[in-house]
Amino acid sequence: MADINLSFLTLCILPILLLLFLKLIIRPHPVTIPIKSRHVFITGGSSGIGLALARQAAAEGARVTILARNPNKLEEAKASIRLSTGIDVTTVSADVCDFDAVKTAVESVDPIDVLVCNQGVFVAYELEKQEIKEVREMIDVNLVGSFNLVKAVLPGMKSRSDRKPVSIAFMSSQAGQVGIYGYTAYSASKFGLRGLAEALQQEVIADDIHVSLIFPPDTDTPGFAEENKKKPRLTSIIAGSSGAMQADEVAKKTLNGIKSGSFIVPCNFEGFLLAIATAGLSPQRSYLMAFVEVVSAGILRIAGLCFQWTWYGSIEKWHAQKKYLDICCSSTQESCLMD
Amino acid sequence: MFGADLLILTLIILLLTSLKLILQPHPTKIPIKSRHVFITGGSSGIGLALAREAAAEGARVTILARDMKKLEQAKASIQVSTGTEVDIVSADVRDFHAVKTAVESAGEIDVLICNHGTFLPYEVENMEMKGIEDIIGVNLVGSFGLVKAALVGMKKRKDRRPVSIAFMSSQLGQVGIYGYTAYSASKFGLRGLAEALQQEVIADDIHVSLIFPPDTDPPGLAEEKKRRPQLTSIITASSGAMTADEVAKKTLNGIKSGSFSIHCNFEGVLLSIVTAGMSPQRSYLMAFVEFIFSGVIRFVAFCFLWTWYRSIEKWHAKRKRA
Repeated sequence: MADINLSFLTLCILPILLLLFLKLIIRPHPVTIPIKSRHVFITGGSSGIGLALARQAAAEGARVTILARNPNKLEEAKASIRLSTGIDVTTVSADVCDFDAVKTAVESVDPIDVLVCNQGVFVAYELEKQEIKEVREMIDVNLVGSFNLVKAVLPGMKSRSDRKPVSIAFMSSQAGQVGIYGYTAYSASKFGLRGLAEALQQEVIADDIHVSLIFPPDTDTPGFAEENKKKPRLTSIIAGSSGAMQADEVAKKTLNGIKSGSFIVPCNFEGFLLAIATAGLSPQRSYLMAFVEVVSAGILRIAGLCFQWTWYGSIEKWHAQKKYLDICCSSTQESCLMD
Repeated sequence: MFGADLLILTLIILLLTSLKLILQPHPTKIPIKSRHVFITGGSSGIGLALAREAAAEGARVTILARDMKKLEQAKASIQVSTGTEVDIVSADVRDFHAVKTAVESAGEIDVLICNHGTFLPYEVENMEMKGIEDIIGVNLVGSFGLVKAALVGMKKRKDRRPVSIAFMSSQLGQVGIYGYTAYSASKFGLRGLAEALQQEVIADDIHVSLIFPPDTDPPGLAEEKKRRPQLTSIITASSGAMTADEVAKKTLNGIKSGSFSIHCNFEGVLLSIVTAGMSPQRSYLMAFVEFIFSGVIRFVAFCFLWTWYRSIEKWHAKRKRA
């Protein structure tokens, strides 16, 4: 009897103790980052998620600048935002791979309060078939480009006169939480953003600068439509495990995540589970989320291993089918198109 | 009382059995004796230690680096200590054509170890973009070039025994630390590459490994320590250093057992468990350990983050007063 009472007490008290302890030790401290009347600078802002972000930020009262390479697309985006929100955003044209151009662009606008490094290119292809040029481009635009932006914006952020908290956010991807068939270069670039973000947060916390990483799934954008045309079949099969989202939904989750200063910002339920499974040594500002991570890390690791089991199963099946078709085709001497 | 214990034991056995059944990719063994091991960054540090170890275990070894003189010295050094001759080839990993030529001239590769790497510990605002581009160009893009060059031969190989592609990462590729934005970015990137690559090459019995050593004692380290930001030294003191030979030994053992994530010391085990994420795990025992300890180690991680951010706070406060 006494044993049961003791176990019961422990079972109730332990979680509460854990929660309290986590509340005390969580670093960096939680923070709220207002965007109303503040300057939000969005790269890759002329289409897709970037455009949706610009629209929503403008609608919430932020002063918005969008950066992209193509001045025509920038004008179209500006017109589109004016039409839907009545607000004028600033546009600036530059290639994120060109540090001097980025610096000029950043210096030509007001001090930046929220930098959203949202630019990105993605081409899914097996590494052995992909041109090294394409690999370089993805890493240059997605990863080195983000370094260019951070380096250009940081001096201004550190010496800002308005000492309210500011944010540097990176648009990653679920492919930046798990590497998938066909995504060697893209995953490499997005995983890289996380290394950058974790180290950067330690370097800038003293200036009340807060780093966020956003992890959307496949999102319905012009870029995604392009990519889908050329994607390897296996990539579609495996990446299909996580549902697709609309750009507006992703933009909403992104802005909410930035405003609450979250380091890791998932966008849907699978993303939420992925975030816990891949939390690793990333900072967590919410003691409630920290509690959830501690309690469910183990079971989510098992879930992750089950996913690997289905993915490698698909890979095996696909190759077996291909071999069978190759044998059939060579014997009938017809040309077969493997799906 | 007894019933509860029996239940727990049954559950554990059920879990272990299920893990053994579902783990993909399957466990494998990759022999290196009499096989061709190709090591980049092989003229010094961990690479040289790897070459020496592999040669001593009976492998045919080729080492690649940029500097021909250092390669000659390395070759002589290995000859003296093991009596074995290794092949040497000079190329810059950033030059894809040079890498292709080097790989083709070396012949069929059974174990490719992308061990080359460069680092510069500096706050991102104090780093030149050129330095950042070099680190990412060498550590990350360079590895892509090597894999692309070696894959062709590996997929068509006559000896159909399992082969390996290994990437020398770092504990800084498991957690980003003050002063290491570019280096961590490049090493985290290797993991994205490795996880995706394993799915692309498993059908050809090619097995991918990532090695995560801590601070190692190679010649570069003494230089690096002089220039390091103070906060970087304070924070990285949390993990102990190792010698190049110890790391080389763990590396080869991990490659031979086809492990995806290879840790090198005790802190490394903890790091690997908490950062296991969605990476493959071939050992059902390790998978069980990950299941049991992930939560606890995430809790420990919060404690580490607390000490690190407190160090940062304290250091800045001291500077302000000074």
